[in-house]
Amino acid sequence: MEPSLVAIEILNGVVLGVIYALVAAGLTLIFGMLDIPNFAHGAFYALGAYVAYTAMMHAGFPLALLAAPLAVGVVGIVLDALFIRKLARAGHTYQILFTLGLVMIVQEAIVLIWGPDPLSVDVPHGLGGGIALGVISFPYYRLFLVAIAALLIALVWLVLERTKLGAIIRAGIEDPEMVDAIGYDVQRLFTIVFGIGVALAAIAGALILPLRGGQPAMGNELNAISFVVVVIGGLGSFAGAVVGGILVGLVQSLMTLVFPAADEVAIFVAMAVVLLVRPQGLFGRR
Amino acid sequence: MNRRSFTFPILMALIAIAPLIVHYPELLAQALIFGLLAAAFNLLLGELGFLSFGQAVFNGLGAYAAGLLLVHVAHMPILVVLAAAAVCGALGAAIVGFLASGGAGVYAVMLTFAFNELAYYLAFQMRDVTGGDNGLRGLVRPGFFGLDLSGNVAYYYFTAVIFLTVFYALLRIVDAPFGHVLRAIRENEARARTIGYDTRRFKVTAFVISGAITGIGGALYAMLYGFVPLEVVDFTTSTNIVIMGILGGIGSPYGAILGAGIFTLLSDRLSHVWAHWPLLLGVLFCTVVMVLRGGVVSLGARVAKRA
Repeated sequence: MEPSLVAIEILNGVVLGVIYALVAAGLTLIFGMLDIPNFAHGAFYALGAYVAYTAMMHAGFPLALLAAPLAVGVVGIVLDALFIRKLARAGHTYQILFTLGLVMIVQEAIVLIWGPDPLSVDVPHGLGGGIALGVISFPYYRLFLVAIAALLIALVWLVLERTKLGAIIRAGIEDPEMVDAIGYDVQRLFTIVFGIGVALAAIAGALILPLRGGQPAMGNELNAISFVVVVIGGLGSFAGAVVGGILVGLVQSLMTLVFPAADEVAIFVAMAVVLLVRPQGLFGRR
Repeated sequence: MNRRSFTFPILMALIAIAPLIVHYPELLAQALIFGLLAAAFNLLLGELGFLSFGQAVFNGLGAYAAGLLLVHVAHMPILVVLAAAAVCGALGAAIVGFLASGGAGVYAVMLTFAFNELAYYLAFQMRDVTGGDNGLRGLVRPGFFGLDLSGNVAYYYFTAVIFLTVFYALLRIVDAPFGHVLRAIRENEARARTIGYDTRRFKVTAFVISGAITGIGGALYAMLYGFVPLEVVDFTTSTNIVIMGILGGIGSPYGAILGAGIFTLLSDRLSHVWAHWPLLLGVLFCTVVMVLRGGVVSLGARVAKRA
């Protein structure tokens, strides 16, 4: 096999992987920490891409990268406060079902607002071209995408692990009554965490737009993959989501060289094996 | 006689006269078939408390079993086709049920989902057998002991007889001690195990029954349209089964029938009126999940209670 081909696929795998990691990091906040199996996570990713598209047309790419997570984050906060939060007592099944209904609504709303045709977007100004790496070249935009995603993941991790706010959130997950008693509004905090989680999915959607374009059902694939990543990485483990995301991206990308027909099913088989052999995932504690 | 024993004859009568009211036997037959799929799903969610996102696997097994028999073997009796489909669906469900029932909660749901992806992939790749995304074509609908079923009204009534037989059996299963054990597992699995029930065996058995019924549904569907599209094993089909089951209500087997009826009618009629009808379906679905856990079927009881 041509070594440059392998190199290209490894680089592509990393790019795909950081997108997966970003979306899965959001799902880790929501599913791993808040214990909400948000099946609409991919729908928020798609919504992020479409909001970014409109913002891009009117205000340019940098603002689109802000508008998508903000708008979708607000939508997530409203949905959590009004509905999802109230289903906590009914259990996982009803939360899965409700978010499944949300997928139908969001997907059809996208068709209604933006139309059913796929979107295609040019690489933003100033990010065209690429770095020459021997015989291959790596586009600047992909480098930018990896940098932004890495920055965001690091930022969320720092807030969670190194700030007082993060400590309160983690304490609230361990013992909500106690943190409530100390005087923090745990519910409100959780709703904000939910908003941040979907905002991460949304910005991933915005980042992928110049690379892959958009279509109304684009969230379904990513929803499945982000659950796969969270399961493989280990539920609730932030590091697991990041490593798992990059791993899945690499596997999927390299599979296109070896056995392209199976690139997608390979990761589901991997998830089934992890679930059956090591249900706590690679980084899970339980 | 309790109220429940009246409901079944009423259902029979409604099904018998339906073609006189709605002159669209294909759609009615499809509604009955979806009713079987939804009822099989509800056995798992409503009685056992297991949310299966992999029902299309068993549907696909049944549909392809029927399709392959009818395409490759001459003079297949229709009941043999249905029996083969039931066995294939049951076998698939035994495997999925055995593996998934070891896990807990969302993990088990994810496993059924992973199996659905795997089944879809296999059906897509094995073009020589399944026809891939072109579908398996050229099924000729067999007759039933000399009765010609090639007309859609005749086939509707055949479907209705199979439907009522299977549905009646399902009602009996749910009311039998077996059904009580499933509900005991749903309410508290650890307790059911402590009492002495081999809960995993009961779970797998419930899966097998659900898979057999779903397989029969898949075969009836394949014979209705004369071909097996790849969609029979698509994840969307699994999702649609979930939607039908929930809409009607998981508390009662009749809920599944109502849900399938509403879904079939809405997707046929509403799609002509407003292209964005899935939006309404989504809102209706979320509303049921939020405030009407018993599904649409529980509305009657609610109204009766108020009056």
